Amino acid sequence: MRNRAAVFALTGPGLVFLGFSLLAPIALLVASSFRSGDAWTVAPYVSTLSKSVFRIAALRTLRVGLIVTAATAFLSYPTAYYVSKLPARRRAVLMSLALFPLMTTAVVRTFGWFVILSRQGILNRVLEAIGWVDRPVQFLYTEGAIVLGLTHLFFPLMLLSLISAMENIPPDVEEAARSLGARPLRAFARVVFPLSADGLVVGGTLVFTGCITAYTTPAILGGTRVLTLATLLQQRAMTLLDWETATVVAVVLLALATVVNLALRRLRVRGVS
Amino acid sequence: MRAFRKRVPCVLVVVGLLMMGWGLVLDAQEPPKPSQLVVSTWGFNTELLEENLAKAFEAETGIRVVFDFGDNSPRLVRLIANRDAPVVDVVTFAPNFAAQALSAGVLQPINTVNISNLADIVEWAQDPLGGHYGIGYTVQILKLAYRTDKIAPPVTSWRDFFRPELAGRITIPDLNTTYGPATLFSTAKAWGGSLDNLETGWQKLGELIESGALLTAYRRSSEAISLFEQDEIWLCPIPSFSWPSLAALNLPLAWVRPASDYWEGMVASLNTLSVVKGTPNAYWAEKFIDFWLSVETQTQMALDKVDAPANTKVVLPDDLRMSFGLDEDISTAVFYDPAFVVANLEEWLDRWNEMIAQ
Repeated sequence: MRNRAAVFALTGPGLVFLGFSLLAPIALLVASSFRSGDAWTVAPYVSTLSKSVFRIAALRTLRVGLIVTAATAFLSYPTAYYVSKLPARRRAVLMSLALFPLMTTAVVRTFGWFVILSRQGILNRVLEAIGWVDRPVQFLYTEGAIVLGLTHLFFPLMLLSLISAMENIPPDVEEAARSLGARPLRAFARVVFPLSADGLVVGGTLVFTGCITAYTTPAILGGTRVLTLATLLQQRAMTLLDWETATVVAVVLLALATVVNLALRRLRVRGVS
Repeated sequence: MRAFRKRVPCVLVVVGLLMMGWGLVLDAQEPPKPSQLVVSTWGFNTELLEENLAKAFEAETGIRVVFDFGDNSPRLVRLIANRDAPVVDVVTFAPNFAAQALSAGVLQPINTVNISNLADIVEWAQDPLGGHYGIGYTVQILKLAYRTDKIAPPVTSWRDFFRPELAGRITIPDLNTTYGPATLFSTAKAWGGSLDNLETGWQKLGELIESGALLTAYRRSSEAISLFEQDEIWLCPIPSFSWPSLAALNLPLAWVRPASDYWEGMVASLNTLSVVKGTPNAYWAEKFIDFWLSVETQTQMALDKVDAPANTKVVLPDDLRMSFGLDEDISTAVFYDPAFVVANLEEWLDRWNEMIAQ
């Protein structure tokens, strides 16, 4: 009884805050997406989902989110594995370095890519110098540019999530696998990877959610021709003051993030079992 | 004689009392001064706005001016959200957003009795929204900027956007920007269409997109300037407030009036000053507007390259007039009806998104 009271006293304020700041707004958002004027209706969904530009933006958003999540996981795993094996002091230094880009705003980092990927940028100059191209290539305003920018942006989040998970894997578990004849890659796949699945779920959720809701990077690197749901939402809300469509798009984004999180958790359960 | 001496002081007292009473009446016409006025406008040249507007107005009236900076749409959204208890007194908008603000009911008519400078304002800027809901305080001219070292022969027309050698080197304003609809209208007119028949414009813009000629449609003029700087584009329509920044890149650029605009006049746009509906400081808001329209303020803003003047009494050096696009005959300026744009914008935007989305 006393324990219960103590738990409630400690968690209560946080839960109340979460309720007001997270759950209530989400509930209001979902409810208002079924409103048109004073009527409860699915008309906003029918109107929005029937537009081909919505379907194009939705598929692109999902595709970019999955690619970036996979890319950050692929790039982060070796790095996280190496860092997690280091002595505590060196590990702390490298984790600080991994956090360092997060201290710069996404706008600045994205404009950095804008300059790098432009026709006068360093990427084109290197390609011309080594003879791979004989004239500058247009890298900007493509889906690839958005993927590159978002991968750079969210790499630290995946890396830190995986490092945190791998730090908690007892070192003798992997050693035991090897002593039983498992090669390093098999030991990683059958022991380290499943035990770090929590980190992949957290990192994957953070990266995917961040990608599908990102506005600045797709707007700067993708422009108006490579639409995502976030840029479409901005257009409908801020230009047309079309809050019905904007609300529907927001709910779709929320649903996508939830589905991917559930899918990752399911994969984690299967991996562990 | 004694009677006269008795009457003189009485007359003087009566006259004095009458004058005091008249003073009280005059003071009663002027409402109490607020401690501050809130002005919603764009966040460009903020130091010059503080200097030329806020500090100067405070020095004259004792009223502090506080700015609410932002783009058109978030500022309009805030006005609508606060419509029952407005926190802004004066607002500036591009014409499409002014028309949206008007239809949203967040503007109130200006009492032109309080605008002593109104008669000096160029005629088409005095009441651009109708009903005195706004006054134009600056004019923007839309012309074509291009790299003179990359394009030959020189650009003279909206039709030049279709030159094959310019493929991938062109940007135009996105349709949901201030000059997006003007680009559609001008393209239509350049190819034989009209405001009543925009299909030609849609068709030609579609060809521009499908051929790969269009790199992107820019949302902000700063984006177009960056694209010029990065050598991504060589040609785009750009308004006069952006030309000084573009010229400062020191690239070989020209900014020309397209030939097709000679048919019916030069594309121009006004930014408007309005009073927010329900403000308790309407009188002083109108005084601030009057201050902004004065020849002194308009001259200083022009000399500082902030805004082209709408006050006809402003005298500028020739090179400055050219940089504002005012070297052309401003009387030929064509202002597209913002109400027409707002009424059709949702349908146009849906069609535009279908065309431009890859």
